[in-house]
Amino acid sequence: MSETPRLVGRRAWRPHWPVNSTRVFKRRRWPGTKRSMLKLSGRYNPKTLRREMVLTDKKPLFWSVGLLALLLLPLGIASERFFTMFGIICIYAAINVMWTLIIGTAGLQSFATLATVGVGAYGAGYLSVTYAIPWPLMLLVGAVLGGLMGWIISLPARRLDGLYYALLTLGLSEFMRNFVTQSDELGGKFNGALFGVGRIIPSDLLTTRLGQSLLYLTAFIALLIALAVYRWVNGGRTGILLRAAATSKEDEAFASALGIDFNKERTRVFIIASAMLGFLGAFYATYIGGTSLQLFSLELLLLLLAMIVIGGLGRAEGAVVGTVIVVGITQWFTDWGPWRIVLVGVLALASVLFTRNGLFGLKAQIEEIRDRRKALYRAGITSRYAEFLPQQAPEIHDKSAIVGRVFERSLRDRLRSWISPELIAEHEAKPLGQHSDRLERMLNYFRKAPIPDKYVVYCEVPFESYRVVALSGLPGVPPRIVDDKKYASLDEAYHAVFLRRVNDLRAH
Amino acid sequence: MIEVVISALVLASMYGLIAIGISLTWASIGMLNLAQGFIFTAGGYTAWLYAQYAEGWGLEGVGLSAGVLIFGMLGSALAGLFVGAIAFLPLQDRDNFRTRSLIATLAISLIGTQIWLILFGPQNKPLPPVFGEGRIEIGPAGMSYQQLGTIIVASVMLALVILWMRSSRRGLQMRAMMMDPLGAAVVGVSVRSTGMRVLAISGALTGLSSVLLAQVFFVSPTSGVQPLTTGLIISLAGGLGSIPGTVAAAGLIGLAEALTARYLQQSLVPFVLFAIVVLILIFRPRGLGGLLEDVRE
Amino acid sequence: MAILEIEGLSAGYGPVRVLHDLSLTIEPGERLGLVGLNGHGKTTFLSAIVGLTGWQDGSVLFRGEQIGGRRTHGMGRKTPQIVRRGIALAPQGDAIFPGLSVRENLDSGAYTGATWRSRRKRRERILEVFPPLAPLLGQTAGTLSGGERRMVSVGRALMSDASLYLVDEPSLGLAPKISLNLVAALLEIDLGDGAMIIAEQNLPLIEGRVDRVLGMHAGDLKLDVGEALGDVPPAAGVHL
Repeated sequence: MSETPRLVGRRAWRPHWPVNSTRVFKRRRWPGTKRSMLKLSGRYNPKTLRREMVLTDKKPLFWSVGLLALLLLPLGIASERFFTMFGIICIYAAINVMWTLIIGTAGLQSFATLATVGVGAYGAGYLSVTYAIPWPLMLLVGAVLGGLMGWIISLPARRLDGLYYALLTLGLSEFMRNFVTQSDELGGKFNGALFGVGRIIPSDLLTTRLGQSLLYLTAFIALLIALAVYRWVNGGRTGILLRAAATSKEDEAFASALGIDFNKERTRVFIIASAMLGFLGAFYATYIGGTSLQLFSLELLLLLLAMIVIGGLGRAEGAVVGTVIVVGITQWFTDWGPWRIVLVGVLALASVLFTRNGLFGLKAQIEEIRDRRKALYRAGITSRYAEFLPQQAPEIHDKSAIVGRVFERSLRDRLRSWISPELIAEHEAKPLGQHSDRLERMLNYFRKAPIPDKYVVYCEVPFESYRVVALSGLPGVPPRIVDDKKYASLDEAYHAVFLRRVNDLRAH
Repeated sequence: MIEVVISALVLASMYGLIAIGISLTWASIGMLNLAQGFIFTAGGYTAWLYAQYAEGWGLEGVGLSAGVLIFGMLGSALAGLFVGAIAFLPLQDRDNFRTRSLIATLAISLIGTQIWLILFGPQNKPLPPVFGEGRIEIGPAGMSYQQLGTIIVASVMLALVILWMRSSRRGLQMRAMMMDPLGAAVVGVSVRSTGMRVLAISGALTGLSSVLLAQVFFVSPTSGVQPLTTGLIISLAGGLGSIPGTVAAAGLIGLAEALTARYLQQSLVPFVLFAIVVLILIFRPRGLGGLLEDVRE
Repeated sequence: MAILEIEGLSAGYGPVRVLHDLSLTIEPGERLGLVGLNGHGKTTFLSAIVGLTGWQDGSVLFRGEQIGGRRTHGMGRKTPQIVRRGIALAPQGDAIFPGLSVRENLDSGAYTGATWRSRRKRRERILEVFPPLAPLLGQTAGTLSGGERRMVSVGRALMSDASLYLVDEPSLGLAPKISLNLVAALLEIDLGDGAMIIAEQNLPLIEGRVDRVLGMHAGDLKLDVGEALGDVPPAAGVHL
């Protein structure tokens, strides 16, 4: 029988490299914290027996490759179209990462993201236009305004049910749009647009390739800052606790009983993220050199939502990759007109309908489908042998006992099918062997029967009278005599025991 | 003063219909239908298309008006069923239904706006006046036919829906399902078909309000956003799932809007509305509906 | 023809398998008592008949029509269709609609067009069986006491034109006298050629008053009732 062995599982590939085993490895940590930069562990290579280092968490690898591509691609191509597209990608990705912090880590279903960004943009833009404040101050003002806004809109979050809060914040954008249109200072005159905001890169440089590259670089740095803030909050103690609590209301109650004030921590995370959003808003204003009412439109909010939904809700990598996809579609296929928005909507719809959590939830989903297939396969085995499987007998602690029972059952079934007059005749002719393969296997099975109630031959008078008895299995308790038959020879007695056992097997 | 009351009633009837649609959908199937703006425009465009053809056939007067109303409701009901087929039926018994259906309806409204843009272009489409043009004077006050018609049609429709909910078998089933979907399954209520029925009804209500609102404004691809926001605000203030609460909230919001527009400034309306909702929600986190329930006890 | 023919029914929730290969036949006019301790699958068995389990497999023939079959998801999705064929379930516990009045709760049991039209007559019949409900008709069901709620729940099941009544734990959590009356009322109902299954922990309450008693132990049906109750004196079993 040459059957290709079934693949049980695959070992994940991990980057590894040989190291000098005589040198002591020193773990590098992020300055000021106890967090290690990379999750490394040492081991001996099982094949070469050399000492080597293994990267156990591959995420930093993917992140650095992805970010490097994001940095180098537009700088290398250096066309205006690429600069615009990737600049927008960086800014929106930064906004989405902060939104992820609010939804995923703080667990607040807030749609006030763009409203906060807009507050930062208009506030800083207004100060820049009227008082000509320098750009570092603008960014600072944006962050302060955003934090203030975050503090104000986090107030009702404590009292309101998640959904009510979501709706309230959804209305906030519309509210802000009205506010801007009504106010003359904020550009109500120009249909909500604000022009002539100070730039980071001097405007005479902006027409050159160097200026464009530098401008793009600032957007990229903004994304990096957002990611750093995300990592700092989400990976920190409160972030981990909050994410643990977000899984269910009971966990939250339990953790509150341990003395963790969730509402306070949530508000803190929310304010940090909002300050960052305000900062990004101010940055956006200097990046574009103005602001527009588009920031408060429902359509842009929905596009941002589509980005994080396509990538995967609650994950920074999902937010970034989703942004790349959606902005890529909307900026690249400009000649498609409204159809590209339709495409984005269909993508978002598809990821809600068919995936559990966007692109980055696919892996877990596929694994689960595979597990379900396996479970179905196992269920097929169960019905074949009519015995239960480990996962179906939670009350039996020793799982090997269950496997043993399943095996015994299948063994009995097979042996039973071998019982035939020829087999019995063979045993009668030669009780002590030489046996055929099947008879030998059957006798082996009989021999390992448990002692209680095991049939044995009892010798009354040597070479004259033998009986079949059953052992009691208890010390001091004599065997019981099973019937009144006496056998003249040992061979006859052997065969009688055999017949009894065969009978029992048949009845079992 | 009476003018203010009349204009409040008109606003309350138009936005209240949308708010009740949102509220009903939420209470019975647990889905927050943010594609209500899409459903709204669907009704408007269907009515507009009908009006185009009807004028071609030379239809006038009552036939035209009734047709506009009926086709507006029909188009929105169909759009409601469409939303249900995409965002409700496939997701209904999967985990995280609430969040996922919310996102799905948002995606539908994103797509919907663009589809209208592609089909009908960005221009505003006017609907023919349904209630004729003219004014009626009662004592010191007067109101236009349009205002009177809006109030009457909306109240009749609302009364019909409430009556139907209270006394018919389907209405009873719907209310049973709002309380306990699995328990309702035991007494023969299918969550899926009843849910679709609810979506069609709230769609029809939205369509009616779309036609009524188009008497004042126009139909355009994004004309659903503002009614959706106001409808959301009302259903929030009224307490999602409570019809009396929603009606009360619609009255309150309509009054506030009319008062602000009359005595302050039209441009201040959104701020006043927002402030009212925030105030209500701070004192009654579950909206006015909770308040009414307390009073009843 | 038998009312209910169950063959190889397995059911459970998620990874947990509660019922193991059950088979059971119920003849017209029969009252079957189902006895067993908590957590041994009585409720799951009744739920599986109307498709209210997480997953299930096996044939369930109701008047010769297949209502079972293999199902891995969609809990309760087929229940309305199954129930409409003429099975009435009175679920365990407070399975009433708390915001509806008692009258509306009872009316919700008349879910077919024909029963709905005759709902007044039917309601009066229920009130004859449960007289304490008569003055409470207009009251909100959520304000009732435990015994009254149970009456509403059972009464709602009786409102329909069912030929198979499934009553889950009518005595649970009730004072002995009230539960005695409730069960007595259940046993007096004229079944015609229908049938009834009563799941109950308290064996003396139904022993000798139903046509047949089956034990339920670890997801299996047993003729030996003692084993199902874990060899604890049945009366004590209730108060464990």
